[in-house]
Amino acid sequence: MLLTTILLIPLLGALLVLTIPANFRVLHRGVAIFATGLSAILSLFLLFGFQTGVEGYQFVHKVAWVPSIGLNYHVGVDGINLGLVIMAAWVSFAAALVSYEIKKQDKLYYSLLLLMCGGVIGTFASLDIIFFYAMHELALIPTFIMIGVWGRGEKRVYAAFQMAIYLSIGAMIVLAGLICLYAGAGAKTFDMQELAAICAAEPMSLPLQKWAIPTLLLGFGILVGLVPFHTWAPLTYSSAPSAPAMIHAGVLKKFGLYGIIRLILPLMPQELHPWMEILVVMALVNAIYCGFIAIRQKCFAMMCSYSSLSHVGFIFLGIAVLNNLALTGAVFLMVAHGFLAALLFALNGWLHQQTGGTAMANMGGLMQKMPFIGFIMSATLLAGCGLPFFGNFVGEFLILFGAWQSAWHWPAALGVFTGLIISAVYMLRAIRQVLHGQSPAELSGVVDANAWRKLPYVLLIAGLLAIGTWPMLLTGKMKEAVSQTLEPVNSLTVQDQINTPSE
Amino acid sequence: MTNILLAILFLPILSAAAITLFTLRRPTVSAGISIGSSCLTFILSVLLYRGAVSQGLPLEISFTWLSVGALSVELGFLVDRLSLLMLLVVTGIGSLIHIYSRGYMQGDPSNSRYFSGLSIFMFSMTGIVLANNLLMIFFFWEMVGLSSYLLIGFWMSKPSAADAGKKAFLCNRIGDTGFLLGIIILWGTLGTLGFSQINSLLAANPAALGSWTTLVGLLLFCGVVGKSAQFPLHVWLPDAMEGPTPVSALIHAATMVAAGVYLLARAFSIFALPAAWPESLAWFNFSALEAVAFTGALTALLAALIAVQQNDIKRILAYSTLSQLGYMVMAVGIAYPVAGMYHLTTHAFFKALLFLGAGSVIVALHHEQNIWKMGGLLKRMPITFFTFLVGTLALCGVPPLSGFFSKDAIIAQAFSKSTCLGTISVGVAFLTTFYMGRLFFVAFMGKARSQSAEKSQETPPVMTYPLILLAIAAVFAGFWNVDTWMMRHYGLEPESAGWFAKLLYPFEHAPMAALVSLAAVVCGAVLAFKLYYNAKQDVLPSQLGSVARWLKDKFYLDELYENTLIWCQDKFALVCDKFDRWVIGGALVGTVYHGVDLVGRLWRLSQTGSVQTYAAIFVFGFVVLAYWVVNW
Repeated sequence: MLLTTILLIPLLGALLVLTIPANFRVLHRGVAIFATGLSAILSLFLLFGFQTGVEGYQFVHKVAWVPSIGLNYHVGVDGINLGLVIMAAWVSFAAALVSYEIKKQDKLYYSLLLLMCGGVIGTFASLDIIFFYAMHELALIPTFIMIGVWGRGEKRVYAAFQMAIYLSIGAMIVLAGLICLYAGAGAKTFDMQELAAICAAEPMSLPLQKWAIPTLLLGFGILVGLVPFHTWAPLTYSSAPSAPAMIHAGVLKKFGLYGIIRLILPLMPQELHPWMEILVVMALVNAIYCGFIAIRQKCFAMMCSYSSLSHVGFIFLGIAVLNNLALTGAVFLMVAHGFLAALLFALNGWLHQQTGGTAMANMGGLMQKMPFIGFIMSATLLAGCGLPFFGNFVGEFLILFGAWQSAWHWPAALGVFTGLIISAVYMLRAIRQVLHGQSPAELSGVVDANAWRKLPYVLLIAGLLAIGTWPMLLTGKMKEAVSQTLEPVNSLTVQDQINTPSE
Repeated sequence: MTNILLAILFLPILSAAAITLFTLRRPTVSAGISIGSSCLTFILSVLLYRGAVSQGLPLEISFTWLSVGALSVELGFLVDRLSLLMLLVVTGIGSLIHIYSRGYMQGDPSNSRYFSGLSIFMFSMTGIVLANNLLMIFFFWEMVGLSSYLLIGFWMSKPSAADAGKKAFLCNRIGDTGFLLGIIILWGTLGTLGFSQINSLLAANPAALGSWTTLVGLLLFCGVVGKSAQFPLHVWLPDAMEGPTPVSALIHAATMVAAGVYLLARAFSIFALPAAWPESLAWFNFSALEAVAFTGALTALLAALIAVQQNDIKRILAYSTLSQLGYMVMAVGIAYPVAGMYHLTTHAFFKALLFLGAGSVIVALHHEQNIWKMGGLLKRMPITFFTFLVGTLALCGVPPLSGFFSKDAIIAQAFSKSTCLGTISVGVAFLTTFYMGRLFFVAFMGKARSQSAEKSQETPPVMTYPLILLAIAAVFAGFWNVDTWMMRHYGLEPESAGWFAKLLYPFEHAPMAALVSLAAVVCGAVLAFKLYYNAKQDVLPSQLGSVARWLKDKFYLDELYENTLIWCQDKFALVCDKFDRWVIGGALVGTVYHGVDLVGRLWRLSQTGSVQTYAAIFVFGFVVLAYWVVNW
């Protein structure tokens, strides 16, 4: 029930906001903050109530819905989605907190935001693929409206449509793949757990796998922004208001990565290897190519978007090398990157409000003008280039060690290069341009965040620091789930001697 | 013991956190917290030293920080002779510099930020020193990089300072790329990263690393090259002088830049393995230690040459630091880490002293750093004058000051290994005396060369007392048995000797090396005296012409990097950006977009709304169908 409560609170909040008259503006915001805050605090009970060392899902809540086709409402967490659900809840809370920037049509805005929050939590809590998919769509549609109505800049309508078309196509392809899975398993069930059991007992037919894997990879790839299907991301994030950008880049985008981990790795191990080898290359392209593009960006939001794509490449790498260590790192990095991306876009929002734009050339010397925001921004950008004791570093080095262990030597070497050098180049460049140096005369009026406005930044950075200084908080709980996910493909590898680990 | 270790490591970071969270607007309290925590860690380090020696060395305590599958990362402490020596140096000199900083940074509006930066540094540095495994060293390696970045760019509104911080961080990151890769390969082949385990594995089987042996050594050495600013990544250190002078003394002279040498000494068993390359690279055929030795020698020579033609007092000292670091790295490279650590220790004292002395002059002259605008400081700043003199003599290697012994140990060993390295090290000793003589004669002797020099006054006691203490250390550190302490660490049995025998030891042990290096010192001093005592201007540029210009412009290495590496990176990024914008975002997406658009438009043409057109199409279709049916 706890999980259901956590995901229902924002959704009920959305309904509640709709019933409040439009001129009670404080109440809309109040309900949104209260609802997301409550579900964020409740999500911590998941963390502390989670039993380490136990296989399978916990906090399970299952209600039959359409038994004839095997459709259930089924939520639960294991080591893999535990961190994601908690991260989703906290990022939602932070997103609600930064939404004071919205000055018009609050009622609609907050109800959409709450729908989005409930949707992202639901996406990662669902164990039924139809709910998994539907919750993602529930979160996606508000993004489209929010960019169009409250977005920034001239191109926001174009951005909204571009994103909607891209992501709908991606989602459609995913849906086709999911139907393949449903039909392929032939057991009338949409339940991830049952599907995994069926596939373990009797592998899905190989021709079906040959088609389903690339279909799902393509769909998920588009949703995550795998090069060359990534062009929607920069424009979307630089046009979106802070809150949807935070939730989308931080949480919702992980849908595709999570989908690969949950649905491709354990269900179709027999045909996995050739596709994962391709994915390793594409992951590196993402990491390096997008990293280099980030170096050239003049706009802070665009730089954040490309850096986010580059980090996503790292996560892809962690998944594609099919190694326990690397997969743990990938899941860890998904959580860390959720906090990081949310911070980046929250900061971007602050810069945009204060300076009226996000062109870095027009900024400078802001550390003096806004010490708090400057401090948070430095910490965030440095966390983004892999500073120890922030979450990203742990995720990245686990992925690199894992890649090396699986005898992927050159990707590990390139990964080290990307993670340590390329990211540092663009992140430090941003600090130099935005925070250091002399501030131009036009920016004399900028102000720092005061008391309550500091809260979202503090929460998010605390999340990054918490998992970065105490990684066992998450990794300790992940062991069983990760080895279960890779067990089918690993047992194949041992049988067939396809690939001998280098140890 | 565990509690003391934890306190030594975590006190500084707690003080940094306290300053950042609570006392940012109270500079005095912040300084108090930071100085207090630093002095306390020094006292605890002394206690640790006494406790550990009585308990027996080495001592290893570890906690699991992260354990996933085969990878286990420990927060572990390794207390042995090496880490104790380094710990005492770091916390001792660190505390003095903290105290001095109180005077130097008086009145700066960001005082609190400064002290929290220093505390972060102390945390990171003790982490490196105490770590019992390579990955933990790497963590703190990155953290010292961070504190160095924050403190170099401390005056961040000054573009040159902000750029220098960025450059330092990036140069370090280039080195760290190799370092991390080396760590990964080492773990992949040995399955462990703890120093004790590595040492015992390699002792049992020197070929345990197989064909990776030399590559791992070289990759780990990349980290050293970045952090200890060895050629070709040395370019960041001179620029780092943009930071406040106490920072230059602590981080960029005495301790952090020496971390590379510490790593070499710590992981010596890996570097000392005989050469083994993968088949495809077998024609390289040199061992990691050889590369280390020659890199060190080259850096020492290059930096000493550049130092001859610099005019900024801090930059001269920075190049001198580079050159001395080159000595230390070379010492490890010629398989004598004892001398490397010995020189690291004495150098930490006298170089910190020189930087703090320079800082004292800079403050007295209202932030004037050009040596040609100083002069005549004997009467006006006697304490600074004499302590700086002591530092200079120690650096030049004048017996019986500390620098003589440590440098002689290196030179003697260099001659016994290779004449080439021996000659270079003597040449560097000559150059050292020459540029330090130049600095001293121009900046301190003669008449005042500017108004601010005429009006200068001695700095307050909070700054001069650390100078005096460091000067005492710089004089006597040669008699503190640092070398025998380190010899025991490496399992060598030193000859026990009284202080007088110690003084004579270099002349008995390797008289040639000692005498030659003394002769070099004398020559350098005489030449510097002739050229620069009471000189109005530098005569070298007119006499040496373009050679002097090359020295002054640092062999144009910065320009070379700017026009090759940075240019390539920038152009590659440009190509990626344009490709993304015009090919993927423009051509590909455009084709799909316009293709769909075009199909729609064409199809729309058929929907004219006119009944005649529809009727005509209908009839045409009917005819086609009829023809098809009839003819089939």
